[in-house]
Amino acid sequence: MIGAAAQVPPPPTPPAAAARRHRHLLDFTDWTAEEVVSLLDTAEVMAQVLARPVKRVPALQGYTVATLFFEDSTRTRLSFERAARAQSADVISFAAGGSSLRKGESIRDTLRTIEQLQADLYVVRHPSAGVPHQLARWTNGAVVNAGDGRHAHPTQALLDAYTLRAALTAAGLPPAERERPFTGRRLAVVGDVEHSRVARSNAELFTLLGGEVVLCGPAALLPRELSRLPGVHLTADLREAVTGADAVMALRIQHERLGPKRLPSLAEYVARYQVRPAHLELAAPHAFVMHPGPLNRDVEVASELADGERSLVERQVASGVPVRMAVLYSLLVGKK
Amino acid sequence: MRLVLRGGRLLDGAGDRGVHDLYVRDGVIEGLDLGGAVDQEVDAEGRLVTPAFLDLHVHLRDPGQEVKEDLASGLAAAAAGGYGTVVSMANTDPVVDDPGIVADLVARAARVAGARLRPAAAISKGLRGEELTDMAALRAAGAVMVTDDGVPVADSRLFRSACEYAAELGLVVQTHSEEPSLRDGGVMHEGAVSQRLGLPGNPDAAEAVMIFRDGEVARLTGARVHLAHVSSRRGLEVATWLKASGAPVTVEVTPQHLTLTDESLAGFDPVYKVAPPLRTADDVAALRAALAGGAVDSIGTDHAPHTLAEKQQDMLSAPFGIANLEVAFPLLYTRLVAAGELPLERLLWLLQDGPARVMGWPAPRLDPGAPADVTVLDLETERAVEGARFRSKAKHTPWEGEPLKGWPVATLVAGRAVHLAG
Repeated sequence: MIGAAAQVPPPPTPPAAAARRHRHLLDFTDWTAEEVVSLLDTAEVMAQVLARPVKRVPALQGYTVATLFFEDSTRTRLSFERAARAQSADVISFAAGGSSLRKGESIRDTLRTIEQLQADLYVVRHPSAGVPHQLARWTNGAVVNAGDGRHAHPTQALLDAYTLRAALTAAGLPPAERERPFTGRRLAVVGDVEHSRVARSNAELFTLLGGEVVLCGPAALLPRELSRLPGVHLTADLREAVTGADAVMALRIQHERLGPKRLPSLAEYVARYQVRPAHLELAAPHAFVMHPGPLNRDVEVASELADGERSLVERQVASGVPVRMAVLYSLLVGKK
Repeated sequence: MRLVLRGGRLLDGAGDRGVHDLYVRDGVIEGLDLGGAVDQEVDAEGRLVTPAFLDLHVHLRDPGQEVKEDLASGLAAAAAGGYGTVVSMANTDPVVDDPGIVADLVARAARVAGARLRPAAAISKGLRGEELTDMAALRAAGAVMVTDDGVPVADSRLFRSACEYAAELGLVVQTHSEEPSLRDGGVMHEGAVSQRLGLPGNPDAAEAVMIFRDGEVARLTGARVHLAHVSSRRGLEVATWLKASGAPVTVEVTPQHLTLTDESLAGFDPVYKVAPPLRTADDVAALRAALAGGAVDSIGTDHAPHTLAEKQQDMLSAPFGIANLEVAFPLLYTRLVAAGELPLERLLWLLQDGPARVMGWPAPRLDPGAPADVTVLDLETERAVEGARFRSKAKHTPWEGEPLKGWPVATLVAGRAVHLAG
């Protein structure tokens, strides 16, 4: 996806003015397909920057990005920090891990403290849904949701869309409609849908970009009400879910969520919902395998698929930095 | 001490008595248009004069959680809301499970200018659901109700015993009917909105299941069981069936469940986090439709104050509860009566005769000799809700800025003006 034409000069093409309408990226509730596509296009320019010998541009010089992680996630935090530094922003990292909360400090108190450090943009992860929305109400800075409870993980969905759009194009299947690149495409998302912010954000974004989403998992982890979202279907049958899919995304199983009142055993889950080569044969001929990581090897996806030529797993990880660069750039530039 | 409410329109459960001067002497109503010298005069011209409201469901947080509310602030808030009598819940720290605590509450409340306090006591020691409290001693100390409100009584055998004791002692049992293992860790109504928002849901089935259990145990034991804060269509339908089939249950609904839906949570503001949760528009419609008929016996506020800092935590950590004593009547008057959905007389009944009947108390009247617990309502002036002006310590409200009519301008308790607006 990062082409040989690495010498394309910065600065990046300014994103469509529409994307600048947004102060925050909390979820995609108020985003249009056009705005998202402009972010994806900006990410492509950012990928070209990252392919150069000197992987840094001055686009965000003088800006400060603070990462506020109330829940551990080294991978996502590093990806955001790399994205900020590659554009010459200063970075402040705050990892609460629950310590200050134990002292009875509210998240608003925590924000007040951090605000004294005068960041322009806050990257927030929290175990409770909605915290980025709450902080966005209280701060003058921009807020990017880096994962809030079960609710949303918009930059993950963006990097998934970016990766898949590029992979389909490389496979000779470029978008028929520029503004709705997934028109006619189907994404199957398999696993613990109920507890998954990745599933929710992907369902929101993939359908916004014109595609259909099939959510699949054991009935106890598949909330019926999600079928009310336009373009979203639910099934507990994995074979049905993958049939005709352009991509199959397996979700990470969080072992602590699989108590005996939810699922009988992990073995039962693997037997019924692990994505295997036989399933991919039911999918579209070009179908890709995706996973938001970190992978539980041979649990959600058979290793031969996760490591195989149809796998986009590594490219998803690699897409994280350019996509997050595009998000930071779009929200910050033109705001001062 | 003699006081006159001058020139108001008098309305109570016996009917519209027209415009009169209402004289009050030594704590009781003296009569109409008597004339003569008075110590205090309250202008009620153009206003409605009616018995002060009864609220069978308030959390005053005293003892132990005075940072949220205390007797002085809570009883003043009640008076400002037009309430003359409130029943305080037992989930304080320590829990009201000891006769000494009940006696202390009664004694301290008597020194506070505000609504009368009739405390409820706990069903189980420490609200742990394991051991019964000594209900006879609690009643002797002044408790009028037993309830573990805030915590459903999970153990059905313990609940049966509680009902047997309460029936024998003539105490009303108030329930918090949510089946705990179905409620699980839910922080809002389980449905399309909770799934979209990724917040753990609490299904209406948790309420319906527990109302059924509580109602059948009421039938089994003969205890008078008041089903607090019924919030869902399913819960209401089960309660209605229980009543129709002769179970001795009564039904309470709250202002929040009559006016707000789970869509309110879309902005992730814990000010809307309450138990039972705000339900769907369909549930709100079912509760509203039931007000006019006999399915609902009382409106209780479930006034549940918390500090702003507590309500500015995340959605999972923030405590459940809405503080609403001071907006309850204007809210319901504006949304239901002024909107033409419910007759004024019915709303008043649900705040006066209804709760009195639940408790077995005399219906409040403006008759000579009756306790002079009276409220004066301004049904005309529209004013926006301003939480900052609340007497309650909890000054955040879901209805901030909402223009409402029906503000209580004066409240008398035992003939004393404990609330005077302006």
